[in-house]
Amino acid sequence: MRATGGLIAHSLRRFAPMILGVGVLLGAFEFLLTQVAAFLLRHSYFSQLATLMPDFMRALMGPAQLAFMSFGGIVAFGYFHPMVIVAVVTVTVSIATETAAEVEMRFVDLTLARELRRRDVILRTLTVFVVAMTTVLGLMLVGTATGLACCVPADTPHISWRVLLSLALSLATLMVCWCGVALAAATMVRRRAVASGAVGIAALAAYLLDYLGRVWDPARTISRVSPFHYFDPAPLITGTPLDTWDAAVLVTIGAVGAIVGAVVFARRDI
Amino acid sequence: MALPAIQLESLSKRFGTVVALEDVSFDVQPGEIFGFLGLNGAGKTTTIRILLDLVRASRGRALVFGADCRRDGVEVRAKIGYLPGEVGFYGDMTGNDTLDVLARLNHHRIDAQWRDWLLERLRLGRADLHRRIREYSTGMKRKLGIVQAFQSEAPLLILDEPTDGLDPLMQDVVYELIGEVRRRGRTVFMSSHILPEVERVCDRIALLRRGTLALVSTVEDVRRLAARAVRIDFDADVDAPPSWPPGVDVIEIAPRVWRVRVVGPLGPLLARLPPSVHDVDIHEPHLEDVLRRYYDDREPS
Repeated sequence: MRATGGLIAHSLRRFAPMILGVGVLLGAFEFLLTQVAAFLLRHSYFSQLATLMPDFMRALMGPAQLAFMSFGGIVAFGYFHPMVIVAVVTVTVSIATETAAEVEMRFVDLTLARELRRRDVILRTLTVFVVAMTTVLGLMLVGTATGLACCVPADTPHISWRVLLSLALSLATLMVCWCGVALAAATMVRRRAVASGAVGIAALAAYLLDYLGRVWDPARTISRVSPFHYFDPAPLITGTPLDTWDAAVLVTIGAVGAIVGAVVFARRDI
Repeated sequence: MALPAIQLESLSKRFGTVVALEDVSFDVQPGEIFGFLGLNGAGKTTTIRILLDLVRASRGRALVFGADCRRDGVEVRAKIGYLPGEVGFYGDMTGNDTLDVLARLNHHRIDAQWRDWLLERLRLGRADLHRRIREYSTGMKRKLGIVQAFQSEAPLLILDEPTDGLDPLMQDVVYELIGEVRRRGRTVFMSSHILPEVERVCDRIALLRRGTLALVSTVEDVRRLAARAVRIDFDADVDAPPSWPPGVDVIEIAPRVWRVRVVGPLGPLLARLPPSVHDVDIHEPHLEDVLRRYYDDREPS
């Protein structure tokens, strides 16, 4: 345990600046979104927007998408804004591909020549990922909570903690999914750039495929292969609970990726 | 009888169609300093990586103090201090942090006094240890690698080209450290292609050639295989003898100088010398003289 703990501590120390940096940045972004929403509310821009929107648009968007045109919608958007997704997936992939980086720079020769099992290296990555995910999402929630608590007018519509937590949980399932995929890729190659490049391209392709599926009926069926198909936080804004099936699919992809990674890493030559 | 520190049994490794090791078997006894020789690509590092379970053997097995390197990997590695041929440190970490991190990856605690002694011997000062490794020279990185391998006081040290990149003075220090750990009862298994180094510090050697074991022997026995070069100067002109004792090869015969090569004892040659000998110069053979023939890829005679 001492050796595994030592390895985890080493990785946490290395990743701490990135985890805290991204967490603080996204927390600040969430805080500012509460201020943006309050500004729009104060100037009655939401009601003007709703008036301007044609009926067919309202019908097309549905109640969940329409919820964007509200204070809660803008605040919630911080949990699935494309740049936020890019940031959390980047952090996830960086952590999950540490194994490939260590193989590439041969640090793994020094660690695995000691009293560590190969599964300890995988366990280390998963532990660091869980800490990173909790920290980043925690700081995002702190940003939102701070903004709502101190810096919006008293008559601002209420957005429940249940909604905020389900938004964070939804983002967490997406991170788990990409952690598994990146971990599996990282255990199969000798260079981090290969693993992170491949996963980055796959994530971009999956995101675009899901987007196509959402706006273009012929692509709807094929878009089911994209993990982003199972990441649909918009209904959460209206208080709909997190879809258990969607969450289960994403977590299963992550778990399968982690298991594949552990098996491949245990069997390969380093 | 004590278990061998290292025991290789018919060890083979293929990478796809490339045969890296073929049927390699030998033992290293506890307390020995064992030199593992071969040209680049001969399979030395592959063998070492199999011992550390970084690479899996295709056939055969490797044991360390009786424990299987594959099955009982953690138990085996608890007994090994390892210096890789190419040390992969994080450039943005300081030397001190690196040693601390690597020390924490061992189950038992490091003796701080022993580490300080190693650092002092290798002339790695406090200021050096607080610098980032990216600022280190090749030699300093090597010295840090040596400290991390020696600091755990493992019963078996596996050193891959330990003096690579070190200046001659530091090479001497490393030889002294190897001698010191042997005095402390440790076993040293070191790969090298610097033959004078091996000759100086090793008790026994194994030589790999293109993945197969070409030789396992004591350094003394290998030396005995080599011919001594003998030059005999005379005060007066002498005739060459009609026949030479067994083991003597003539290189040059002049009226006042004979140059011969002798394999085996010198007595029979000296007994046949005429009384007008002025001087006898015997050039003791070096390990290199024998091993070069093995390196040459030709079957040695």
